[in-house]
Amino acid sequence: MLVAGIDVGSRATKAVVLDGERNLRACSVLRTRPPFPELARQALDEALSRGGLRGISPDYVATTGFGRYNVPFRDLQVTEITSAARGASFLYPSTRYVLDIGFQSTRAMKLGEGGRVREFHTNDKCAAGAGGFIERAARYLEVGLEKVGELSLRADNPQTISSVCAVLAESEIINHVSEGKTVENILRGAHLSLATRALALLRRVGLDGETTFVGGVVYQAGMVRSLEETLKVKLNVPAQPELVGALGAALLALQRLEKQGAIPKSPVEPAT
Amino acid sequence: MATAVDNIAARYQEALLDPSLPLVQAWKERHPGARAVGVFPVYSPVEIVHAAGMLPVGLLGAGNQLEIAYADARFQSFICSIIKSTTEMALTGRLKVFDGLVFQGICDAARNLASVMARNLPGMRVEYLHLSQNQASPAAEDYLVGEYRRFQSAMEELSGRRVTEDGLRQSIAAYNRVRALVRVLNGLRARSPELVSALECYLLARLGATLPPEGSAPVLESALVAAQGRQARPKDRVRVVVQGSFCEVPPVELISALEEAGCYILDDDLLLGWRCYEADLPTEGDPLRSLARAYLNSVRFSSVRHGLDQPRATDLVAQAKQLRADAVIYLAAKFCEPALLDYALFRQALEQAGIPHLFLEFEEKMWLVDKPRNTIETFVESLLFD
Repeated sequence: MLVAGIDVGSRATKAVVLDGERNLRACSVLRTRPPFPELARQALDEALSRGGLRGISPDYVATTGFGRYNVPFRDLQVTEITSAARGASFLYPSTRYVLDIGFQSTRAMKLGEGGRVREFHTNDKCAAGAGGFIERAARYLEVGLEKVGELSLRADNPQTISSVCAVLAESEIINHVSEGKTVENILRGAHLSLATRALALLRRVGLDGETTFVGGVVYQAGMVRSLEETLKVKLNVPAQPELVGALGAALLALQRLEKQGAIPKSPVEPAT
Repeated sequence: MATAVDNIAARYQEALLDPSLPLVQAWKERHPGARAVGVFPVYSPVEIVHAAGMLPVGLLGAGNQLEIAYADARFQSFICSIIKSTTEMALTGRLKVFDGLVFQGICDAARNLASVMARNLPGMRVEYLHLSQNQASPAAEDYLVGEYRRFQSAMEELSGRRVTEDGLRQSIAAYNRVRALVRVLNGLRARSPELVSALECYLLARLGATLPPEGSAPVLESALVAAQGRQARPKDRVRVVVQGSFCEVPPVELISALEEAGCYILDDDLLLGWRCYEADLPTEGDPLRSLARAYLNSVRFSSVRHGLDQPRATDLVAQAKQLRADAVIYLAAKFCEPALLDYALFRQALEQAGIPHLFLEFEEKMWLVDKPRNTIETFVESLLFD
């Protein structure tokens, strides 16, 4: 018995394969590019291949992410909010809040029992409120995205970026560069700016319990530090944060199979 | 496969949503010399307009069909869409099809819109109806009868035709028929939402608010028969009540998105003023008094009618329970003060009753509904994957 969760995100497409006991059997991450049906199939095939499961078709496929409807072989699609909540709750059963910062949007969720979403808010359609903003800043500063997190950690005088619009925020970055501010301090300013917006979202759902931070931006250590300083809490940070949505989708796939009686219900244990 | 009810609703959709009001234009062309009166939400006694030989037409904004070019220059940014789009329609000549306009004191913006129209549309008869605010007062009925009498005189003056008691009773009967058909259609939706969608109900009710009752009733009857004969299997969806859209109407794309995201909308308050009576109004006795009594005693709860007897939040909870709704979606127009102020009361009551709810804001000029759709889907999933 195998199920798959595929998260077709705006920057990366992720696939997770679980067995009937909720063990992680395989995963993959590909850069998102059209056409999505082929991309999703490729992500799944790559995961299966890496897990030594080549040629095996999962019994159920659940998709999530903005491209979730463009996967013809799916059995079910769920929003990225539902899937991130389920994935985070599985990894950290006592988490009450989830912050998911993706490339295109940021979501704050309050969870109920079993990872059920009780309340949630997403950022408005504004590029300054999500991971894409950091990527654009890095591009302007001619820094590879993989180096952004470490550089940001080295900041000694973070520069304020106060604009709520990505275009204006980039103008602020240009000003900082022309004034001779260091790349480290500008990047940390960008992280703090994003953290402030995330705090506003989290405050709308409440912020009085264990909080898990997921999404590809988690890989940027400076972002985690900025968030923890801004939120004044210690965050749960998964080892593979970009896979949490796909994991949640796979878990929901299992739940559907259990509900349909295709497999017996098994107690939920955190994945290893 | 498209069924008759799809065809009926779809046949009129484009014309109903066209801010040039082609259905009203066509009616006037077919009735040379006849007059039409635009009626701003939420409620007005349209029977009086009809009895004066004129066509009362719901003035329901321009949806996302009209670029706002002039109205933005005349209003502050924090004002609801329907005020701006109605003004835009006026300033671009789209309201010339009307001979009169009627407003009531539902909110500050609507109250002032009456004056804006009077100033900007010379020659247009603009009436402001003072519906009673205190429904519980023993004097309310006599007051409202007096106000309706004043309104009747104004309509007589506009049309040049005297309103007789018999004529008004006939108009009440004609609108009773339309309201009853809309009521039965909505009852069918509440019982078997797989047979008729919220969008279809809205379009058909809007037809009743646009055509004369003699013209809309046969169409509604056909649609009802078609819906009753529809073959559809109930889907695994969340049953919801939609509240908060009693004045400005959400874009049809958003209504569709609510349904496509996995909701059966058992009931809503769209076009509330045109379907606010749960039973027929009496067609005997003093017709003005019948209209006044109905407004004071029988009208459905809303955020613009302040009953002192029972909080409207209690009514919403009772409605949700009676319809066995899984949840309530509070769908309020941006900057709609009555709806947004009431949300605090509704939220508290729903939470106390253990009824899940989702709050969403909309505006007329929403072309992309991806974000609200995503939000609704997540809400639906939170209930489905319980």
